[in-house]
Amino acid sequence: MSIGAPHSDDNALAGEYVLGVLPLDERRAAEQRIASEPAFAELVSSWQSELATLDDAYASEAPPRGVKARIDARLFAEAAKPAGLWGSLVFWRGLALASVAVVAAIGAYNLDLVGGSTPGSAPALVAELGAPGSAVGLVAALDPTSGALQITPAAFSPDDGKALELWLVPGEGAPISLGLVPEDGGRLVLDRSLRDQLSAGALIAVSLEPAGGSPTGVATGPVVLSGTLASK
Amino acid sequence: MSQQDLSGLIVHTALGNRAAFSTLYESTSAKLFGVCLRILKDRAQAEDAVQEVYVRIWRRAGSFRADKASAMAWLVTIARNQAIDMIRARQPATLEYDQAPDMADPDLDPEARAALAGEGRRIEACLGELEADKAAAVVNAYVEGLSYQELAAQNAVPLNTMRTWLRRSLIKLRECLNR
Repeated sequence: MSIGAPHSDDNALAGEYVLGVLPLDERRAAEQRIASEPAFAELVSSWQSELATLDDAYASEAPPRGVKARIDARLFAEAAKPAGLWGSLVFWRGLALASVAVVAAIGAYNLDLVGGSTPGSAPALVAELGAPGSAVGLVAALDPTSGALQITPAAFSPDDGKALELWLVPGEGAPISLGLVPEDGGRLVLDRSLRDQLSAGALIAVSLEPAGGSPTGVATGPVVLSGTLASK
Repeated sequence: MSQQDLSGLIVHTALGNRAAFSTLYESTSAKLFGVCLRILKDRAQAEDAVQEVYVRIWRRAGSFRADKASAMAWLVTIARNQAIDMIRARQPATLEYDQAPDMADPDLDPEARAALAGEGRRIEACLGELEADKAAAVVNAYVEGLSYQELAAQNAVPLNTMRTWLRRSLIKLRECLNR
């Protein structure tokens, strides 16, 4: 005899889902209904608040120390293994997507920022550097005439004794240091060889490094901001 | 830390505030690790689970609604879901019912009812209206994250009987809670 999956009573199903007893297929099916049927989602939510009283049964136990660092590494791209994360183009593209959407919004602001550009000259390149889920941190604008990056701090300052290092992240190969972000923003004059590598679409990232910059030439600290250069 | 403080930390986490996220972790990770450990019964897996839980918390903090759930209940729900997903993924994806007929559902046990009732909280009072083994099945399923197979084995009944019992218990519970 098979009784199949008795879906007739949504109330019981919602309760089964919250208890957690359902096998994976039915669990996923219930989640689809939560997403698409407000009435069913309401039943689930009601069971959750009633049964939450039972949460008292869970005894607290501190997780091992390394856990938080691994969470931060996953979320904030801390380069615990520089070669791994820094070498992953997919990873960088993911970060870039998070910030590319807002670049267009600052066009007007930007023209003021690089007021030196004149008609006929090469277009200014601007990257708005942010992090997923946070407000914009820095705006980096390349003045094509002087070859300097103008850095404007917006909402980010490193902890005491740290420095922000700016990196060009090429499609292949290791990130190239563009230098330290000047305190309080300001201009960062780039070598000609570096300047020539900056073009629209290039990915720029900022990592948190010891004062004086990365001692190894590759980023050692967490990547805190990133964005792509766009023509303005 | 009060529920209100936790709510504030979740809201700031939703805004991308990493300091708030770290404080939230310090304040709640012991409870959520306890949840994962209780359900998964394996420290290494519980560590993996609790990592995933805080990644989800960071990403989903914007969906927290303080008027709908207490902060800690919302966090525990994320932890339970993660831990249960992990154990269910290792088990059959569908229930394979056996051929046994449903066993009769015994009548209410007044003593068990009296034993479980009496607490001020609604869910406990209503669990007290179930027979002791039925109420225990509900509580064990929730707290330990047991599957139907495990519940059936614990209660020494066929799988389909277990499911019928539990669903009936849930419907009785809901009737009581709605009174």
